[in-house]
Amino acid sequence: MIRFGHIIVGVAVLLSLCAVVPAVERFPPPEFESGYERPSPTTPHPRQDIYEYIDVVVLLTALCLSSYLVLRNRSRRAIFILMVFSLLYFGFWRKGCVCPIGAIQNVVLSVFDRDYAVPIVVAAFFLLPLVFTLFFGRIFCAAVCPLGAIQDLVLLRPVSVPNWLESGLRLFAYVYLGATVLFAATGSAFLICRYDPFVSFFHLSGNLNIVILGACFLVVGVFIGRPYCRFVCPYGVILRQLSRVSKWRVTIAPDECVQCRLCEDSCPFGAIREPTADWPASEYNKSKKRLAFVIFLLPVLIFIGGWIGSGLRTVTSRMHATVRLAERVYLEENGKVEGTTDASSAFRATGKEVKELYAEASNIRAEFGLGGWFFGGFVGLVIGLKLVGLSVWRQRTDYEADRASCLACGRCFEYCPKEQVRLKKAKEAIGESQ
Amino acid sequence: MKSSDDSTSKVSPNAIKRVWEAPKNVRATSPWYGSAVSTAIVGGVLSLIVLVLIVLNHFQVRVILPKLEKELEVLKEEIRSQPDNEQLLSRIRQLDLQIRKMRIRRLDRSRKGSYLLLGSLVVLLIGVKWADTFKKKMPAPRLEQDKQDEQVRQAVRARWAVTAGLAALGAGALFLALPADIDFSGAGARITSYPLAEEINRNWPRFRGPGGLGISAHTNVPTNWNGRTGEGIVWKTKVPLPGLNSPVIWGEKVFLSGGDPNALEVYCFDALSGGLLWTGDVKRAPKPDEEPFEAREDTGFAAPTVVTDGRRVYAIFATGDVGCFDFDGKNLWNRGLETPDSAYGYASSLAMYRNLLLIQYDQGAVEDEKSKLIALDGFSGQTVWERKRPVGNSWTSPIVAKVGNEYQVITVGDPWVISYAPADGAEIWRGKFVGGDLAPSPIYANGLVFAIEPYTKLVAIRPDGRGDVTKTHIAWSVEDGTPDICSPVGNSELIFLLTTEGLLICYKVADGTKFWEKDLETYFRASPSLVGDSVYLLSEKGTMFIIEAGIEYKELARCEMGEGCCASPAFADGRIYIRGLENLYCIGKETP
Repeated sequence: MIRFGHIIVGVAVLLSLCAVVPAVERFPPPEFESGYERPSPTTPHPRQDIYEYIDVVVLLTALCLSSYLVLRNRSRRAIFILMVFSLLYFGFWRKGCVCPIGAIQNVVLSVFDRDYAVPIVVAAFFLLPLVFTLFFGRIFCAAVCPLGAIQDLVLLRPVSVPNWLESGLRLFAYVYLGATVLFAATGSAFLICRYDPFVSFFHLSGNLNIVILGACFLVVGVFIGRPYCRFVCPYGVILRQLSRVSKWRVTIAPDECVQCRLCEDSCPFGAIREPTADWPASEYNKSKKRLAFVIFLLPVLIFIGGWIGSGLRTVTSRMHATVRLAERVYLEENGKVEGTTDASSAFRATGKEVKELYAEASNIRAEFGLGGWFFGGFVGLVIGLKLVGLSVWRQRTDYEADRASCLACGRCFEYCPKEQVRLKKAKEAIGESQ
Repeated sequence: MKSSDDSTSKVSPNAIKRVWEAPKNVRATSPWYGSAVSTAIVGGVLSLIVLVLIVLNHFQVRVILPKLEKELEVLKEEIRSQPDNEQLLSRIRQLDLQIRKMRIRRLDRSRKGSYLLLGSLVVLLIGVKWADTFKKKMPAPRLEQDKQDEQVRQAVRARWAVTAGLAALGAGALFLALPADIDFSGAGARITSYPLAEEINRNWPRFRGPGGLGISAHTNVPTNWNGRTGEGIVWKTKVPLPGLNSPVIWGEKVFLSGGDPNALEVYCFDALSGGLLWTGDVKRAPKPDEEPFEAREDTGFAAPTVVTDGRRVYAIFATGDVGCFDFDGKNLWNRGLETPDSAYGYASSLAMYRNLLLIQYDQGAVEDEKSKLIALDGFSGQTVWERKRPVGNSWTSPIVAKVGNEYQVITVGDPWVISYAPADGAEIWRGKFVGGDLAPSPIYANGLVFAIEPYTKLVAIRPDGRGDVTKTHIAWSVEDGTPDICSPVGNSELIFLLTTEGLLICYKVADGTKFWEKDLETYFRASPSLVGDSVYLLSEKGTMFIIEAGIEYKELARCEMGEGCCASPAFADGRIYIRGLENLYCIGKETP
């Protein structure tokens, strides 16, 4: 009996030691008598893996909830509350990292670099919103994305942007997406992370230029709804395309639109499309020719775009640290600049041959040349398709939320009298009558 | 409005009324509107105040702290030359502490301010949003207008907007493409930052030529000239300032240095015409806490020979000043090392490994622990590494030799022969083989390192050891009258030693067997050189003895310079360059 008890005690001690050992640092830092606490050098602070998986679960839950609130519950208040939660959790608590927007780069890099494996959490952050968008529309933008949430909160005096201007400005998001993919694929830079305007707010510190950029976005966002989401966000470009074919989507009226026009200017994001008039007879022939011309122009735009993109290889390749170093060393070696930089001094200290560096830089430039074809071709394609889309006359009989542009914020619901009827009926159903 | 037979789709007047009327009613009567506005105002004012404070704090970090840090840097520079100045040390500590406190305090304020700002912005937003709920935006559909025309206009404008975007992108691409690109394969680009072995061997880049071995790659050099009559003298040019350093050749340029109490100079001569192409002035670094420098009579200001890598030329002087020039004479950088504590004046020549400039800086006594081997980045002059040496002052020069697959920097100082890895200065091996006032430099021949202890012995060392090899890696040694100044020269079979008094001795490299010795009955300070099967010996009087490099003594020629010479000659294709006490000579045929 005693021996059995000793065994139990021994096992318990061993188990508790096992629990303690992983927590003991191999090389513990000195203990300061003054109570000084070492600051963590990384932001966000490194965490145990379990918390990363908890983030994925929270993301999934938020997406499910957002889908329900947008499509079933149709409550702007509930969407707002979820949006605030997302801002607090994914923004200020998780410091905005990992985010689905930046995850594009990780996924692209993993495709082009065999030595890089995208973490499963990052892949989940990238894929889950896309999958939900494919089914439910842009519910991620509605109440889960912290970048959208912070802009939505500061939207106080919305001013509508003319549709034609929006068409032009939206091009930037496509160019940004193309550039992001190019630089991530070549292992040069993570543009989205580098120029995320709101990350410094989430970190409560950051590069001054980025803080100013973020502040500008927020100031603009007071008047123009979600400027980053509408004109810059590269992830939004992908969500727009998926949302066009989503199985379910936001509708302004809960059932049939009665065309009362009360929702016309209810959307601060210009996502409501009015019913269209019949095709004007005078425009018909002109439009056909224009459409034919634009379709013919499409491959030309793709080719020219690719040619320009490839031709800019010496410029775009400068995003790569090795090319920048090679150019700097070249200028120093040929006496075109004074002094040295830390990078060039460090390079010379390695004793590596300059010609090896030049060869490496030349190879990277060649990669950018090839990538530039795809980047420029993509931009040409987007512009061409945009022109094609603007040359096609779309028939609409009801007021609709634009499938691609609608951010599913739910602001338009309360403007619809059918929605009021539905709410009254719901209140009556639970015993709350007027 | 569109009507429908389905009753559930009819909009009741009450529903429309609710949309139109409810906000008006709430706005008129709610007492909370004022509170909401007040909250927003409080939040806004607080945000503004906190923002101003944060900006002020940031401004202080950007402006005031850098000034203090600059002041600290200056003090740190001063302390280098006054390491024992307690007052200065105390001031540095105080200032350092002050800066750290300020920085940490500012960081702390910045962090707290960020939280405050966030909080006040949240209050502002809550206030504004709250107030907005009482002033809901009323639906305000625009007046009915000609939809068709408007939509056509919108489409046209949208197409133009996209076209304008396309044009903007095109203009941007053009703007980015305008500046000239760097072509790495361009003609102006040097493909290496340091010369390859072939390049080095074609030239005479340092004291005693490639590798510091005294062996010429060119065997078509002259064997007959007369400095008095001018026979065989292509040109003769006066060297502006005196120096004992030897000529260094790269391509069509010959480099020397000279110095006096007023100037330290590097000279570049045209190898074909002898014209002085440029004079580089090496600035003397101020050393206010040191005694004024007095050059030793034996060595003067410019005993160490310059070194070049074909891109730049480097010089060191007895004052400890180092200068670097490009091939056009532009001064690229200078360094002022501490004045060397050298009994006869600093005389160790420079060496190079790839882009590293190697300075053997032996000084003082062994116990002073002042000696060191320094590696500077040739491009910038910054110290790449520095290793203390357990030796006293010496006048030997380091050599870089390829032993097997690795390069070694081999140095001789009292009492150690030490080998270092050139990339990082790590010690490879050392042996206590020599002692005394050491001036002959080591050589590497037939897989052995040869070091000389003046008047006493010649030691052959196997350089493949690690650590202390004193007892294990001596191949052989001979105790004989050995040189006190001239470095030896050897090939795979023979090694030649030349004493100051003119005794030339020939040994077998393999085992140290003495083949012969010959008293040339004149004095020598220049080290012997090997050219093919001949040994060139330049006496102090300027007589060049040309001896056959064989197991028997045989004099092949004797040529007069007509001027005293102390520096070792330099060899090029069909030419010899000799520095006399006053002139630089080029010996050869008019057209090589």
